[in-house]
Amino acid sequence: MSALSVSATFAAAEFQTPSIEYSKLMPMLIVFGVALVGVLIEAFMGRTGRHQVQLILSIAGLVAAFVSVTMLAGDNQIAAVGAVAVDGPALFLQGTILLLAIPGVLTMAERSLDRGGVFTSAGSSTPGSEHERVLTATGVTQTEVFPLTMFAVGGMLLFPAANDLLTMFVALEVLSLPLYLLCGLARRRRLLSQEASLKYFLLGAFSSAFFLYGIALLYGYSGTVRLSGIAEAVSSNSGSDTLLMTGTALLAVGLLFKVGAAPFHSWTPDVYQGAPTPITGFMAACTKVAAFGALLRVLYVGLGGLAWQWEPVMWGVAILTMVVGSVVALTQTDVKRMLAYSSIAHAGFILTGLVATDTVDPDTGAVLGVSSVLFYLLAYGFITIGAFAVVTLVRDAGGEATHLSQWAGLARRSPLVAAVFTLFLAAFAGIPLTSGFTGKFAVFSAAIAGDAAPLVVIGVVMSAVAAFFYFRVVVLMFFNAPAPDGPAVAVPSPLTTVAITLSVAVTVLLGVWPTQVLDLADRASQFVR
Amino acid sequence: MNPMNYVYLSALLFSIGAAGVLLRRNAIVVFMCVELMLNATNLAFVAFARMQGNLDGQVIAFFVMVVAAAEVVIGLAIIVTIFRTRRSASVDSANLLKY
Amino acid sequence: MPTILAAETTQAADATGVFALSWLLIALPLLGAAVLLLGGRRTDKFGHLLGTAMPFAAFVIGVVQFVAMLGRDPENRTFSQHLYTWLPVGSFQVDAGLLVDQLSMCFVLLITGVGTLIHIYSIGYMEHDPDRRRFFGYLNLFIAAMLLLVLADSYLLLYVGWEGVGLASYLLIGFWSYVPEYAAAAKKAFVANRVGDFGLSIAIMIMFAQFGSVSFDGVFAGADGASEGALTAIGLMLLLAACGKSAQFPLQSWLGDAMAGPTPVSALIHAATMVTAGVYLIVRSAPVFNGAPDAQLVVVIVGAITLIFGAIVGTAKDDIKKALAASTMSQIGYMMLAAGLGPIGYAFAIFHLLTHGFFKAGMFLGAGSVMHGMNNQVEMRRFGGISSVMKITWITFGLGWLAIIGVPPFSGFWSKDKIIEAAFVGEGWRPWVFGGAALIGAGVTAFYMTRLFLMTFHGERRWTDDVHPHESPKIMTIPLMVLAIGSAALGLILGPTNALVHWLEPVTGAHGEEAPVLSVPVLTGLTLLLIAVGVAWAYSLYVRQPVPEVAPAGSVLTRAARRDLYQDAVNESLLMRPGQYLTRFLVWFDNRVVDGAVNGLAALLGGTSGRFRRLQTGFVRSYALSMFLGAALLVGAMLLVRL
Repeated sequence: MSALSVSATFAAAEFQTPSIEYSKLMPMLIVFGVALVGVLIEAFMGRTGRHQVQLILSIAGLVAAFVSVTMLAGDNQIAAVGAVAVDGPALFLQGTILLLAIPGVLTMAERSLDRGGVFTSAGSSTPGSEHERVLTATGVTQTEVFPLTMFAVGGMLLFPAANDLLTMFVALEVLSLPLYLLCGLARRRRLLSQEASLKYFLLGAFSSAFFLYGIALLYGYSGTVRLSGIAEAVSSNSGSDTLLMTGTALLAVGLLFKVGAAPFHSWTPDVYQGAPTPITGFMAACTKVAAFGALLRVLYVGLGGLAWQWEPVMWGVAILTMVVGSVVALTQTDVKRMLAYSSIAHAGFILTGLVATDTVDPDTGAVLGVSSVLFYLLAYGFITIGAFAVVTLVRDAGGEATHLSQWAGLARRSPLVAAVFTLFLAAFAGIPLTSGFTGKFAVFSAAIAGDAAPLVVIGVVMSAVAAFFYFRVVVLMFFNAPAPDGPAVAVPSPLTTVAITLSVAVTVLLGVWPTQVLDLADRASQFVR
Repeated sequence: MNPMNYVYLSALLFSIGAAGVLLRRNAIVVFMCVELMLNATNLAFVAFARMQGNLDGQVIAFFVMVVAAAEVVIGLAIIVTIFRTRRSASVDSANLLKY
Repeated sequence: MPTILAAETTQAADATGVFALSWLLIALPLLGAAVLLLGGRRTDKFGHLLGTAMPFAAFVIGVVQFVAMLGRDPENRTFSQHLYTWLPVGSFQVDAGLLVDQLSMCFVLLITGVGTLIHIYSIGYMEHDPDRRRFFGYLNLFIAAMLLLVLADSYLLLYVGWEGVGLASYLLIGFWSYVPEYAAAAKKAFVANRVGDFGLSIAIMIMFAQFGSVSFDGVFAGADGASEGALTAIGLMLLLAACGKSAQFPLQSWLGDAMAGPTPVSALIHAATMVTAGVYLIVRSAPVFNGAPDAQLVVVIVGAITLIFGAIVGTAKDDIKKALAASTMSQIGYMMLAAGLGPIGYAFAIFHLLTHGFFKAGMFLGAGSVMHGMNNQVEMRRFGGISSVMKITWITFGLGWLAIIGVPPFSGFWSKDKIIEAAFVGEGWRPWVFGGAALIGAGVTAFYMTRLFLMTFHGERRWTDDVHPHESPKIMTIPLMVLAIGSAALGLILGPTNALVHWLEPVTGAHGEEAPVLSVPVLTGLTLLLIAVGVAWAYSLYVRQPVPEVAPAGSVLTRAARRDLYQDAVNESLLMRPGQYLTRFLVWFDNRVVDGAVNGLAALLGGTSGRFRRLQTGFVRSYALSMFLGAALLVGAMLLVRL
């Protein structure tokens, strides 16, 4: 697992079995195990019933992994010979990812909205070909998405827990590769879906090359890829500054790409729009959580001593991200694309909390930069999953009706769906009594405590700008007349209903009564070093 | 020979790879350029391992190769599928999603 | 300098006894809204009754609390109820709590009392609407949010209520949203309110940054030692919020259009309660404004401009509801002016707010009653001579009319006269300018309200052929009568005795007696003289001469007033155009036009939504290039900061 363990054994000239604390890695082991079992099921089980088995297995795996995360709660140590940190932020984020993955998987498994589900019968069949028609006629569903999703979830669990850069790189790839594929598997609008997949893949590979080169340079600087080792090298100021600075910047490129921060955001709108909507929701929520976790760990644990240098740069990135996300979203005409830009804007808001750095709250001992980001990610994740799940419900003959003009007067057709979507939009906009408000409040107060008041001012202004495009949709749904040939709101199976209900519940709960979760985030805000 | 030269070489290869990604149209070639960037990184790892006097860098290079191989599998699958649909491997022809 | 005995000196007691029930004030109507909106068609049968019972129950609680409060010493009438810890972010903590004191008590009684009457009236008014239940659900939601707004003990919780009343008001303005202009009106209200809400959120941010607290206690305690600059900034932002919510200059344009909603909504939200939230905000923030004379001056200026502006617009409107809306704007201008005067004016602002709540709600409901009998006609040129067929409406409206123009001894006389007197207190140019504006406003008010009254109820009948006016049913006229009694008597009860001023003193602070620059009898005489002139002039124009059924071209001023003094044009050039250019600037080329409904909304953004976002070319290589450049930039920046 770790390069260090290997070099250590070479030095000792005698092979010693590295100690792996399996119990500490249980959440990841469960998820990866389920993914592997899923692959075996794909290989050996007949088609009938495969869908149910895969669904039950995945959900059971996610729940079991979540339970094992809660059992690890309070742990603060480094496992697997230095490769994996089991500490507050890692466990909090792992729990968040697992919780988000559950509604994510539920929406993916939805089959009553579209005959055969949201995924193509066979990714390899050419769109418009005879082969595809035959497969569609048989109503076959592809179930590979479940193991793929579980692999991605596994990578996401490892990503924020990775304590050395090599593990982090491997985790990055493990979470990314399945996602590239999942993006291309839509049943409808397959050209868009495949294009999204191609773009995501090429740009993702491009960014991970930067990430990797950053690792190489930091390795060249410090002689290790362990975050604590890099931190030591930084504090003792040995080695070449150029390597350090360039390495840090390139490493940041890879992470900022994953969180969708400007100027590395350009993939987000295209991929979010083209990917199958349940995948978009899953990706938008979980990837962001995992990537911000990794970014926090790298910047706080590995490069904490360099905060003076990266802070101004992160300021710039945060401002640019908020502005680009909010302003460009103003003129979007596609719901999914608008939500993509909104997710960019939110990455900017989260970065505001992140630059609060090591400001420790004197009363609770919480690291504000960490705890506020942790809370925001949880809140944002559920809003996102819920919002994209609602998008899957508004359909016309051609599948999902994502053009905004088709949403006009939706409240007349289905007041409930319109009201639920309004709740999510209000939460995105940060209206009080929703989780979005609490999250914004947390990151902005962290930023103020961290002497980043100007950033907060920009954040508030951009929130106001963003509110306009969120409420534009609300106005559209409630105050405009529906088009005569407009889309209908499909009645989903309990799967999607449960996912949306869960998201609504969390969004309201974290807005009205966030105390417990804020406390939990406070307590989970200490990185093990 | 100064091992730093290998680092410079790796930077050069990395830049060539990046330039290829930006300039070439064929998806396969673009992808190969990404692979070039990864291999440039491997060279840097190995060179740094030599300079730092430990083996970490060399071990990492193996990891990178494995990851790159996995990436090839995924990448080729995606590129081939889209090629079959569009009858073109040009990355510029995939241009429906924009603005 | 008058001695300020501000709120922070009185200690809030923990709510016990009947005050421990304060949360019920909000919870009851909220429960009503939940049942009606979530219950769906099942609740159609009893929806309106439940919807009326909830605010009434809240009213009963309010009255009991009021009586209990009367039985205590003036210093011990403040109660706080801690609900729970809402946002514990680090050491910074926001509690959700309620504050019941003399000021919020006034509002509780107004909101629940007038609210209940309007609910009763709506039972009749909305009888034939298939969505009556939903309407009551929204009304209850509004009542709950408005009560939260006035009972909140922190700015943050107040903001929740602030957004809540906004939400309810869009839902209600757009209640008949199948008519496009109604939807457009809801949108307009939405935008103006967003600008205002933005002000409030900035104000809260500054408070948080300055004082580390957003509760009233914390902010007011901090305001004592804070710099004038910070207080001025907070004050101006609060004023911006108040302008949006209370339709004050320059954010006034939405109120007239908001009349598109059902008339009970106009009475409740756009006359009696929600639009006065801005006044509440400023009076509540007295300690902030007391320390920021510049902000106070701006408040007074805004109030003065709006009161004149609204009055002039009111003179030319032929739509009865829009004329009343202009009048509301103008009357709230009076309240703002009073609130901006500082401790001397706070109580009078609230006094006028209360009397206005009664007579304006009464008149709106009266207008609704007229419309009810006239096939929803709103054009006053098609009214005339209704007094003979709708006696109760005529008499109750008449009492409201006498009250608003300030004829003694009706309510408006007491409250408005006090504001005019207070405006004339001071030194230098201010009393003359602001007092003069208030004085002239009183004359113009008399003119346009008389015009409205006479054109509607007197003169010859100019009805269209298909109407057969009839008096409204009892369920509508009884609320009218109650409100009319209030319009007539409230001022007499509270005015001569100064009861309200003493009641509010612990909250707003006391002030010494100061004489206006002109003696009080002279001022009262002048006011009455101007009122008489206004009434007489209107009489000579609209009763002595026949009223043409088509509006004459009129003078330049009339035409301008008819078009709301060109406020839409001004708005467009000041607010929308720069926005358009900004958007265009962000756009690289433009050749894309988006169709249909999106274009309709695009008005919100200045009509240029269709052209933009050209950086996102869709070419993967250009994305890679932007990433590459971004990476180069990041590396450069990192290397640069090291230097």
